[in-house]
Order: sequence, then C-alpha cells, then structure tokens
Amino acid sequence: MRLRTRKPPLTELHGSLSRDAWRRFRRHTLAVVALGVLGVLLLAVIVGPFVLDAEPERIDFGSKNLPPTLAHPMGTDELGRDQLARVLSGGRLTLAVATAAVLVAALLGVVVGAIAGYWGGLIDNALMRIVDVFYSLPSLFVVILLVTLVGASFGTIVAAIAAFTWMNTARLVRASYLSLKEREFVDAARSLGVGDVRIVVRHILPNALTPVIVSATLGIATAILTESALSFLGLGFQPPHATWGGMLNESRDAVTNLGHWWRGFFPGLMILVTVLCVNYVGDGARDALDPRKEER
Amino acid sequence: MTTFLVKRGLQAIPLLIGISLLLFAMLQMTPGGPLASSEGTGAQNAARVEQIREHYGLDDPLPVQYFNWAGGVATGDWGTSFNTGRPVLTMIWERLPNTLLLTGAAFLLAIAIAVPIGVLAARKQYSWFDYVSSGLSFVGVAMPSFWLALMLLFVFSYSLGWLPSGGLEDLRADHEGFSAVIDRVRHMILPVIVLAAVSTAQLARYVRGAMLDVLQQDYVRTARGSGLRERTVIVGHALRNAAIPVVTVAVLTIPELFLGSVVMETIFAIPGIGRLFVESANLRDYPVLLGILMIGAALVVVANLVADIVYSLLDPRIRYAS
Repeated sequence: MRLRTRKPPLTELHGSLSRDAWRRFRRHTLAVVALGVLGVLLLAVIVGPFVLDAEPERIDFGSKNLPPTLAHPMGTDELGRDQLARVLSGGRLTLAVATAAVLVAALLGVVVGAIAGYWGGLIDNALMRIVDVFYSLPSLFVVILLVTLVGASFGTIVAAIAAFTWMNTARLVRASYLSLKEREFVDAARSLGVGDVRIVVRHILPNALTPVIVSATLGIATAILTESALSFLGLGFQPPHATWGGMLNESRDAVTNLGHWWRGFFPGLMILVTVLCVNYVGDGARDALDPRKEER
Repeated sequence: MTTFLVKRGLQAIPLLIGISLLLFAMLQMTPGGPLASSEGTGAQNAARVEQIREHYGLDDPLPVQYFNWAGGVATGDWGTSFNTGRPVLTMIWERLPNTLLLTGAAFLLAIAIAVPIGVLAARKQYSWFDYVSSGLSFVGVAMPSFWLALMLLFVFSYSLGWLPSGGLEDLRADHEGFSAVIDRVRHMILPVIVLAAVSTAQLARYVRGAMLDVLQQDYVRTARGSGLRERTVIVGHALRNAAIPVVTVAVLTIPELFLGSVVMETIFAIPGIGRLFVESANLRDYPVLLGILMIGAALVVVANLVADIVYSLLDPRIRYAS
C-alpha cells in the first residue's frame, strides 16, 4: 500500500520558465500594447510597400507639396512622392540597421563578457580596461567620425553603432559568468571531462542570456535614435534611400521655411512611437524575466 | 579621504592614455587620410603631396607621430589645423563658449524642472499627476531631439514668428547693451529647451524612483510620526537622501548634453564645438578632430570622477579605505 500521495509534477505548478515569463509579461498592460503596436509597425513596414499602391520613388509633379489627404495620408514632398510609401520603405531600412547593430553588439558583448568572466585573471583585467576606454569615448562624435571617414554604407553604419553599444552587454555577461562558473552544475560538467569551451558555450551561456535579452531590446531604441541622428546630420544613407532620420533631414527647409509640417512630423512620429514601444517592451521583459524582482 | 581622491584622480591618467591611443589608431586605420583628395591627381602633384606630408610629419613612423601628438597635447600644443593652418587649441577655444553656454543652460533648466516634478510625482504616487508626468517622461526619453527642434521651429518661428529660427544674434538689427543680451536670450530659448528635454525626462524618472525608495524608509515614518510638517519631512529629510544617487546621475548627463549639442548646433546654426567637429570630419582635418575627441573624452572621464567623488562626499555611509 502506498501512503505517499503523488505530487503533481512541478511543471503543472509553475510551467516552464518562458511560460512563467510570458505570464508575468502579460501583467504589464503597457508592454503588451507596445508589443502589439510594434508588431503592426513591423508588418506595415515589411508588407506595406507591396500592398500600397504608391511607390516610394515615384515622382509626380502634378501632386507635389500636398498636405495630408485621404489619397496621401502623410502628404507629399516637393517631387510629389507619397510620404506614407517613403515612411514605410524608410522604416525598413531604419529597423534593419537597428536590428543588425543590436545583434552585432550583443554577439561582441557576449563573447567578450564570457571570455573575461570565465577565464578571469589577466585577460579579464585587460578586457575590462578596454570596456572602460570605450565607455569613456564621446560615442556620438566617434560614430560620426567613422561614418564620415569610411563612407556611409549599411555595413559601416551598423558597425559604427555596434562598436559603441556592446560594453553594457559585456559587463552583464561577465558578471553572470563570474557567479555561474562557481556553481555545482559547472563542477559536475567539468568532473565528467567536458572541455572549457563546451562549458562556456553549452552549459553556462543559456543561463547567462536573460540580461542580454533585456539589454538588447533596449539597445534597439538607442540604435534607432543614433542612426536617426546620423542621418539627420546628412551622414547616413545617400538618396534616394532615406531612413526616417534621413527624411527628417530632407524636410528641414520645407518645415522651417515653407511650413510643410507634414514632411517632418510623420517620420519623427514614427521614430518616437517605435522607440517608445521598444522601451516599454524592454521594461516589461526586464520585469518578466527576473522572477526575484518584486512588484512595485 | 585625500588618499582616495588622489588615487581616484591618478586612475584617470592611464584611461586617458588608452583613449588617446585608441582614437589615434582609429584615425590611422580608416581608409583615405588627410591627403586622400590631393593624391592621384597627376605627377606634378605627387611632389607637392610629399612636401606637405613631410611638413606635417605624416611620413614619420606611426609611434613617432603618436608621441609627437600626445606630447604636444600634454604641453598645450595641440597641432595646427590642416584646413586653416591655425592652432587647434585656438580654434576650439573660440567655439567652446557657445557650446558651454548651451550645455550649461540646458543642464540647469533640466534640473530646475526635473527635481520638483520627480519629487511631486513620488509624493503623490499613483495620482493623475504621477501618471501624466511619468507618461511624459517616457515620451521624452524616446523623443528624437531633432524632431522636437523641427516641430518647435515650425510652431514658434514659422507659424507664430515669436522666435528666431537660428544663429546666435540678429544680424539685421544692431543691438547694444541690454538689448543685445535680450537678443542672445531669444536665440538661445529653443536650442536650450530642446537640448534639455531628453535629460529632463531622464532625470525626472530618476528623481521619482529615488524619492520612492527613500519615502518607504523607517526614518521618514518616524519624522512624520513625530509631528514634523510634511514640507520639512520631504525637503529636509527625504530629498536630502534621495539627492545622493540623483546628483551622481545628474553629473553624468553633462557629457551627454555636450554630445547632444552637435545636433542642436547643426539645426539652429550655432557656431560651436559640434558644428566644428562635423565640418572638420568632412574636411578630414585630423588635428582638429583629435582635439575635439580628446576634449569630449576628458569630459566623460572627469564627469565620472566627479560623480564618484560627490557620491562619497554626500553619503556618510561610504568611507573609502585609505
């Protein structure tokens, strides 16, 4: 006769880590709304140019400098190009640059942080001093410099932004590795004869990724703002390719001297909404992924 | 305490050396070079390019070039501009006051607005004021400053005609004395407001958070319980302690404002350091670029140092082992 009643399996009580995190994320109403808005934006930017009748580069002198109407919800510019179509195709470029920059920065940060945290000692010291140096550089100035000297291309802009946003990830990952490498599961793996590289990549990395996800999400916001500033200064992609920042740059004269407010209003609004949503999602993710954090 | 200050100050030196090495190396690694536009334009030019190269010491080995430049920076000779032939330090010195005025005014404005808003929002947590100000500060952090600048220019300069659209002074009118000051202030209003906006939003969020932490503490309840006026509790007890982390963050916004001035100076046509930097980047004027980058880096390093020191001075719980 068995006296012990069967305990429900742990998974029924708590669910997996990701399901738990999703449950906590959903409590964050604003973050959920922001995620939805971002989804719509992404869909519009990717699918929009195919569905929309207007092409971003079609010149139509018959309908130039029109304020927003039903036919042109965001108005037209001095060449009669539909601003909505341009905002959508520009958004593709903006988001592509930001995503690529964040991925490159996260990869660099994880590699540097893992090496510094796991092996420690002299390597750690040297790498952390390099991080200090990068933190102390006037980043916007250096990005401007790199892009001007090397020439604006997708690769250059991504690399320049990534080169000054990886340090935070590196510090976070290093801290995780410092504590995780002392844990029993690492000892166990090592006693089974698992090599250092395999321990670093297969055993510790999955446990150290949580803070990376949060900092990468928030990093997208920084990357979008940096790219926009760069393009606004006229240092970004060359026409006819225009990111949102580039459209703002083109609109300067029209807005301040001719009063065509719609030329600048909509591209900037897109930047604002996107960055705002990314920040909300990042905040929600931080609360959701850290079970220890108590509710405020 | 003195030992800590000296030690912490000395740590900044290797950091600055590291920064200078990295910046120098970066400029060398980029394709082209200061003479890129003069090269390959014919044989008679080749000799001339060689002459220029020798004159500026560009044919020396790189380590020699670095030590010549770094030694010069340390002794106050920052080289001469490739473009104007004038000393770099003089060129920066001419532009610096405009940038400092812009940065300083924006900094003071940001603090003057952010602290009361943050305190009030924390004092009345979950009130409509808290929701509105928190929402606005979220928007402020996400706001591209150049967009805000364009929209304000449209409203206040183009539509209403209340404020000038750029520059530092009205060139059509001859202002003297007091009216010159008024004229300058009118030109600074928009750039300062826009530059301060993002920092105000950041600081207000930070002040609110710090105040919320402090207001939960036992001594605040004790102070209230002993019948002190709410004002005394907030200002005399809570704010003084909340100020410790806030001051640190506030100091660190100064270099951010300095960097942000690049964009403001471009939109509002203000002849400052940021404009000089963008112009020099287009002309590949390496000595000027290096000079401005070093000033920017030094500002970041010094701001970090000051933040550390202020933190240790304000918080009596922190005592550095000497």
